[in-house]
Amino acid sequence: MIAPKFMPLIVKQIVRNRTRTFLTVAGVATAMFLFIAVQAMHRGVMITTQQNAEDNLLIVYRQDRYCPFTSQLPQYYQQRITEIPGVVSVIPMRIIVNNCRTSLDVVTFRGVPDDDFLKHMAPTMDVIDGSIAEWERRSDAAIVGETLARRRGFKAGDSFDAAGVRVYVAGIVRSDEPQDQNVAYVKLDFLQQTVDRKLGTVTQFNVRVDDPKRMNEIAAAIDEMFATSEFPTATRSDKAFMAQAADEMIELVSFARYVGWASLAAVLALVGNAIVLSVQERIKEHAILQTLGFRGGLVGRLVVTEGLMLGLLGGAVGTVAAVLVVEWGQFSLSMDGLSIPIEVSSQLVIAGLLISMTLGVIGGLIPGWQASRRPIAGCFRAV
Amino acid sequence: MVLIECRKLTKEYRKGDMVIRPLDGLDLDVEAGEFLALMGPSGSGKTTLLNLIAGIDSPTSGSLVIDGQDISKLSRSALANWRATYIGYIFQLYNLVPVLTAYENVELPLLLHKLSRKERHERVATALSLVGLADRHDHYPRQLSGGQEQRVAIARAIVADPKILVADEPTGDLDKASALAIMQLLQRLVRDLGKTLIMVTHDPNTAEFASRTLHLDKGRLVDQSGHATMEAVR
Ligand SMILES: Nc1ncnc2c1ncn2[C@@H]1O[C@H](COP(=O)(O)OP(=O)(O)O)[C@@H](O)[C@H]1O
Ligand SMILES: [Mg+2]
Repeated sequence: MIAPKFMPLIVKQIVRNRTRTFLTVAGVATAMFLFIAVQAMHRGVMITTQQNAEDNLLIVYRQDRYCPFTSQLPQYYQQRITEIPGVVSVIPMRIIVNNCRTSLDVVTFRGVPDDDFLKHMAPTMDVIDGSIAEWERRSDAAIVGETLARRRGFKAGDSFDAAGVRVYVAGIVRSDEPQDQNVAYVKLDFLQQTVDRKLGTVTQFNVRVDDPKRMNEIAAAIDEMFATSEFPTATRSDKAFMAQAADEMIELVSFARYVGWASLAAVLALVGNAIVLSVQERIKEHAILQTLGFRGGLVGRLVVTEGLMLGLLGGAVGTVAAVLVVEWGQFSLSMDGLSIPIEVSSQLVIAGLLISMTLGVIGGLIPGWQASRRPIAGCFRAV
Repeated sequence: MVLIECRKLTKEYRKGDMVIRPLDGLDLDVEAGEFLALMGPSGSGKTTLLNLIAGIDSPTSGSLVIDGQDISKLSRSALANWRATYIGYIFQLYNLVPVLTAYENVELPLLLHKLSRKERHERVATALSLVGLADRHDHYPRQLSGGQEQRVAIARAIVADPKILVADEPTGDLDKASALAIMQLLQRLVRDLGKTLIMVTHDPNTAEFASRTLHLDKGRLVDQSGHATMEAVR
């Protein structure tokens, strides 16, 4: 858009009014931080609630219950569900949460039978600290997801208390599954004994099916099987389950997206304002450049590039800040023991920079156009 | 050889119902290599005439042929390119860009030409040493005296080697000694570099340096006694 030899000219103009540049960049950075943060939440919602073709996980919950405190199902359902054709595996889970409400910092325990954990779950996780063997060995052992561990500062060998349960951290794992990243897996009988003082009750079953196309059919078959029993079930795909469990949170995030869009408008206004002011101050200077033979279009482009630089500078600061905060904080939105991860993806970083640059350009367009059209001779008279 | 030929050159400004006519059918020829001084009372149209010749304003009517080309017919952007090759403008108040050093100010016109960084450097260095400011290249305008600023402005005006220099009261804001130095410098540009220079001045002593002096009044050229004159055209 502009030859590199003109860059020093632009940079000097930006540096010229330090206070204004600082305030503009700070404003743009704040707005872009907000935008990126909201987008990161929205992305988390999409990941956790959007069904994709290879999903084959069903969640069996107690009918009309929406919180792990109230969903209670007999553990022996496991055997009966396994018999349904198309079901590959059934894992009973007891879930305990130290805070059942929407929160950024929740500790969730998932109690799972040893064999099921070792056979179906451990293989999908990367151990980054401690070991699975240690988990097998101790009855109060927990395998903690990376997000939870980093948020709470846990290392292998630590012990911690939450929701009246004291566990020993046997290992820390990383997983592609957002839920696994944010929970502590413990042994089912340990959790039942500690919390329920008896065995036999679970919160839900995680059911894998052989063919994703048959999800609905199998879900219906499961609910059918227990329809007349004392503990009827409601079975959904895990994404649909997330979507209904977190519906308030999802609504909140959708609303927050408007705030995100509005913050982009703020970026535009900030850059536009800064450029308008700086162009007004420099009417005479632009006339000098044109007298020297700079074409009006070139002067306009210099102005627009200035807007681009301001936008990019603010966008870069805001985006980096968002990445750092999200990375350090390891936030995830949790509700009823389910979590929506907040992550700034590299695409989001690139999008943030491109958007702030584009807004900078747009903010510079009108003042740039005005600067390019102004009659030269008149500018020297109006002092 | 006639380099600049003005015929019935007229400039009008409209202010509401009023029409101001700072130039009124002016005829003028300027020879290549000439040093022409323009004098006249304030508001007589001197600056307007310079601006037209420099191509930063366009006439309402009449023709303005420079080096065989009627520049009043050029588009805005063609005119900008034309200025870059033909015109060096020297202002009364120097009009340097305050955030740029002397070097960077002088370099500005060269950015419009296809020159390497090294070639630009050589040309700026030559121009700055020609005006006697080689040692001030990294100074900002506010660190220079008025006379020095004007010399930087002159270096900027000549660095791209234009045929025509226009100067609007170039010593109007300077003390006597600095003014004298500037006038000697301008005279050298005409004599040694063969520039054509049109200079507006109030001061008869300054006009002495020119090879010809013309007087403007109410947008027309007049003789010493104030009568309209045709002597400006050969
Ligand atoms: N852009 C303009 N709009 C309106 N009037 C103008 C404009 N430029 C010049 N004039 C008028 O034209 C007349 C001549 O101005 P100028 O050429 O600057 O005179 P000088 O340089 O001889 O003092 C003045 O009356 C001035 O007010
Ligand atoms: Mg004047």
